Formats: sequence, C-alpha cells, structure tokens
Amino acid sequence: MRLPDRVTGLFLVGLGAAAAYGGWQLPPVPGQPVGPNVFPLVIGTGLALCGLAIAFGIGRSFEEEEHLIPVEGGQPPPPTGKLYGLRVLLPPALLLFYVAVAERLGFILTAATIVYVTSTALGARWKVALPLALLAPIGIHLIFSKLLRVPLPPGVLPMPW
Amino acid sequence: MLNTLTQAFALITTWEVIIAILAASVYGLVIGSLPGLSATMATALLVPVTFYLSPIAAIATIVAASTMAIFAGDIPGALLRIPGTPASAAYADEAYAMTRKGEAELALGAGVWFSAVGGIAGTLSLMILAPPLAEIALSFSTFEYFWLAFLGLMCATLVARSSPVKAIASMFIGLLVACIGIENPGGVPRFTFGITDLFGGIEPIPALVGVFAVAQVMRAMLTPEPPPIPRRKFGSIMAGQWKLTKKYNRQMTRGNIVGIIIGVLPGAGADMAAWVSYAMSKRFSKEPEKFGTGHVEGVVEAGASNNASIASGWVPSLLFGIPGDTIAAIAIGVLYMKGLNPGPTLFTEKASSMYAIYLMFIIANIIMIPLGIVMIRLASNVLRAPRSTVMPVIMLCCAVGSFAIGNNIFGVVIVATFGVIGYVMEENGYPVAAMVLGIVMGTMIEQSFVTSLIKSDGSVLPFFERPIAAILAAMAIGALIWPVLVWVWRKLKRAPVPANSAP
Repeated sequence: MRLPDRVTGLFLVGLGAAAAYGGWQLPPVPGQPVGPNVFPLVIGTGLALCGLAIAFGIGRSFEEEEHLIPVEGGQPPPPTGKLYGLRVLLPPALLLFYVAVAERLGFILTAATIVYVTSTALGARWKVALPLALLAPIGIHLIFSKLLRVPLPPGVLPMPW
Repeated sequence: MLNTLTQAFALITTWEVIIAILAASVYGLVIGSLPGLSATMATALLVPVTFYLSPIAAIATIVAASTMAIFAGDIPGALLRIPGTPASAAYADEAYAMTRKGEAELALGAGVWFSAVGGIAGTLSLMILAPPLAEIALSFSTFEYFWLAFLGLMCATLVARSSPVKAIASMFIGLLVACIGIENPGGVPRFTFGITDLFGGIEPIPALVGVFAVAQVMRAMLTPEPPPIPRRKFGSIMAGQWKLTKKYNRQMTRGNIVGIIIGVLPGAGADMAAWVSYAMSKRFSKEPEKFGTGHVEGVVEAGASNNASIASGWVPSLLFGIPGDTIAAIAIGVLYMKGLNPGPTLFTEKASSMYAIYLMFIIANIIMIPLGIVMIRLASNVLRAPRSTVMPVIMLCCAVGSFAIGNNIFGVVIVATFGVIGYVMEENGYPVAAMVLGIVMGTMIEQSFVTSLIKSDGSVLPFFERPIAAILAAMAIGALIWPVLVWVWRKLKRAPVPANSAP
C-alpha cells in the first residue's frame, strides 16, 4: 500500500477541502463570534495546505530512512501472488465479521472462527490453530464476562458461568 | 504531623487494605499489559469492586491498579511494539527497537525501575509542593489551556521521525476525527453523516487500539515471521539500572519534574507527560541521532515522567475536585462515594486520610519493583510464543476490549476502521501517534479555543496578554516554525556563497 507522496498529498487536499466545506455549511451560533463551524474550517484549511506541501515534496528532506534492524536467518520471503496483498485486510474484515454475527452466533463461536482464521493465515497448522480456537475464546470469556462483567452475547452456545 | 503520620500508618496497615493493594496491583499489572486495555479502563472496571470496601481500601485499589497499569503498559510496548496503555505509546517504538537489539531486559528493567523512582519522587515532592502547584494551575484560564494543548500537539510533531509536514498533517487528521459528534460549541451533529453511533464522537481508546494493535496484526499478515528469540533464561531485570540512574540522572530528574507539572495541570495526564518528556529527551540529548534505534535515554525520561504524573494528577483532584486526568476523575467519584469529599478541608479535617493516600502511592511504587519483575518474567513467554498464537488472542482482546469501553458494538467498527487508517498512514510515512494525540486533545483544544474567543469577543490579543499564556504561546509557535527555520538554514548552507559578495 505504498503510494506516491503526490497521491497521498492530493488526497489530503481533497479531505481538507471537504472538511472545510462541511464546516462552512454548519450553522453558526447566533450572538457568538465562533460556532461549530470555525474549528473544521481551520483544520480543513490546514490539512489542505499540508496536502499541497506534501504533493510538492516540501519537507521530504526531513524524512529519515528507517533504521531497520536486519533480521538474521528469518524465513524465506513470502510468496507474492496476485491476491497475496489482500491478506492485509483480513484483520479488519474479521472484526467486521464479529460485529455482523456475534449477536446471533454468540461470542464463543464467533471468537473461535476469528482465532482459527487469524492463526492459520499467520501460518499455524491445524494442530495448533484448533486447540487455540477452542481455548482462547473460553479464556477471554472467563476474564471479560465473569471477572470484568462485560456483557458478551451468549448466542447459540452460552457459557455455563 | 508525626501524630497524623502514625494515624495514617494505622489506617493502611489493616489486612483489608494490604490484600486490596496486592490484589489490585496484580490486576493492574495484568490489565495494563494486555494490549487494548488502558489504565483508565482498568480503574473504571474497579469501581464496582470498591462498593464493597472501606474508604481507605477503596482508594488503595484505585491507586495501586492505576500505578501498576501505567508501568505494565511498557511490557507489550517493549515486547510486541503494542503499547498496553496510551501512556506507553510515546516510547513503545524505542523500547521495541531495544528488544530487537537483544536489550529486552534493559528496556523492561528501565521501565519498572524508573517508573517506581518516578512514582516515588512524584509523591514525595507532591507532599511538599502540592498546595502552591495547585494554586498556579487554578489560576490558568482557557487561554493558557489552549496554548498548553497546542504545545502538546506540537510535541507530537517534534518527536516524529518522518517529515514534519506529514506529522502536522497526521495531527490535523486526528483533530478532524475529534470534530465528529455533537460535543461542539453549537451542540449540532458534526460530520456524523446521519449515523447515530457517531453522535457521541469517536473515543480515543478504540481509535488507539485500531492504529496500534489491529494495524500491527495487519502488518504481521504480510511480513515474514521474525525468527524466534533464542531460548534463554531472561537475564537479570535490574542489572545495569543503577548505572543508568547515575548516567541519566539529569534526564530522570527532568522527567520527574515534567511529569509532576503536567500531572497537576487538569486535562493533561500520563500520556501527555510521556510525549512531552520523550520530546524533551530527544531535543536536549547529546545523541539525538540514536533516538528511534533502540536508545534507552528517552525510555528513562518518559517512563519516569508518566508515573510521576499519576501521583500528581491527584493534587487538583484532592484539593479542588478538578481531575488531573481520567484516572483521577474516576478517583474523585470514589472519594465522594466514600465520604472523603475533595476540597481544601480534606487537608485539615481528614489529614490522616490524606497522608494515607500518599503512603499508598509510595507503597504501590515500592512493591511495583518485585511484582513488576515477576510480571516481566511471565510476560517474556510472549517472546517465545509463535506469532500465529499471540496475534489471534490480541485480535480477540481488540474486539472485546473495544466493545467493553462503552458496551457498544460500534466500538469494534471504529477499531477495524482505525486499523486500516493506521496501517495505510504508517506505510506512507505519516506518524500515527500524531493523529492519536490529535484525537485525544481535539475536544480540549477546541473548547479552550472557542471559550477564549468568546471571552475576548473574537479578539486574538488576549491569547498573548497574560504572562503565562505569552510564554506558552512563544514556545508553541517556536515549535511550529522550528522546522521552517531549519529548512531555510539548510537551504542557505547549501547555497554557494559568491566570492567577494561582502561589501
């Protein structure tokens, strides 16, 4: 997801302009010099100016090269297929999956799915991923629901405690 | 005074208080070290427990849990680059770089040692300085608050290793996020797009969990797993700490003082103390180029600072009922509930209770060292666990923790969204920490800005007229134009000087 500075800069110009426009549309408070519109206007303008500066490469000379500590004897680089990059979207997708089904399916089953998918996506064999998917949700449920009294949806598989 | 101190000792040496301190310490260490669960959340979840305790034991649990949680946030910060609490975010990168260099013991030892020293120094100096410091903070008007918040934001751009323009852009994105909701001068829905869940605005904690934890899991999806840290016994945690104390004596003292001052100021808590101290450490360091590569100096100063601020955050709370930070805000609620109503009379009428609170802070910071070492040794197993078993559990903690903050499933959507935002920003050189600070400080800066402008009838002059405001303004503007000055200076230095150009 590395984009040229020109692209991110112009995106920020657009975002800033939209924020400023959105702020401008808000009704002022009668008899008050500043209302809810002032802050978005200031931020939007600032953001757009920063975006322009980034697009034109101002301040780039300050960017330091990342001092990465070389990893010794690591695994071979991962295969880079066409859809390989999309794996990065798996964690947020799983969180949205939680939002969508947790209420109906219940915490334990949803959490087990999330743990199993994340674990296998990160290279775990089923011998590791399966017990983890069975135990981790129960452990987390015990801590959050029993000890911290956070209401977790029981769904189709309620816990006995 | 000696009599009061004896009474205070008697108050805290009951079995109930001792057990409460120990249990709350372990709880604080565990919650603080779990990514996605903040010290504030640890404290907030304790409040129902305090219903069943005596006043002193109730306060003791709050003191012990918050103190431990702020330190414990350093543990996952150093081991996984995921700060357990926002107060550790300032130096999580630095501590993680130290772990990668094989200096995990030194990073974690510095965390526990300088946190304890910071906490004790904070408490001791507060016993002497509390009343005058609180009076100064009380004389602050919205003008000073505005500049203070502004200065805090500029600090985030100063510590960033990317281009200052990108850091300022990140900060603006954070401020824009803080605009969302109906908490604004007009009380109108702003940037909510008709989504009722957005009316309350975006809470900083789910946003922080998203950019620091979910984005980290996302990165793990694409990068090859680093080789497991060789199996070895975790060395002595405290080794070398005395040497560090002597070497970075000045930094430690400065961290303590900055932490105390920031803690006393309402609205600015341990997070800001850590950020400001880390920035100061880098600015005044003899080896600023080492920062970000696994250098202990910033960890010493910021680690001492955030714990010092926890103790001093109680000063305005106890004296005037004004919370120094969110943890102190919860503490005020417990104080009222237990009949220890905050106010100057607390110092005269219930002096023994006041001293008991100070003693509890000192005890909590002393037992932090052995308990912290045990916790570090237990947590170090995380280093040997394969990523495919740690990350799924972190994912679950992100989902449940963000839900637990408001018992609202929308919190999980926020976490997922900020995971993507954080990932994309970091990939393109935009420092996410600056954005987080923008989100945290946004409401405060807008409120103080708008209230100040209403007071001054739209004039900007009063922003510079009060002496403390003028000093803060000069510092803030200096921080803002500093990159420009450096840029101009570099250009001038690079430009060839024509011969015989001088008259």
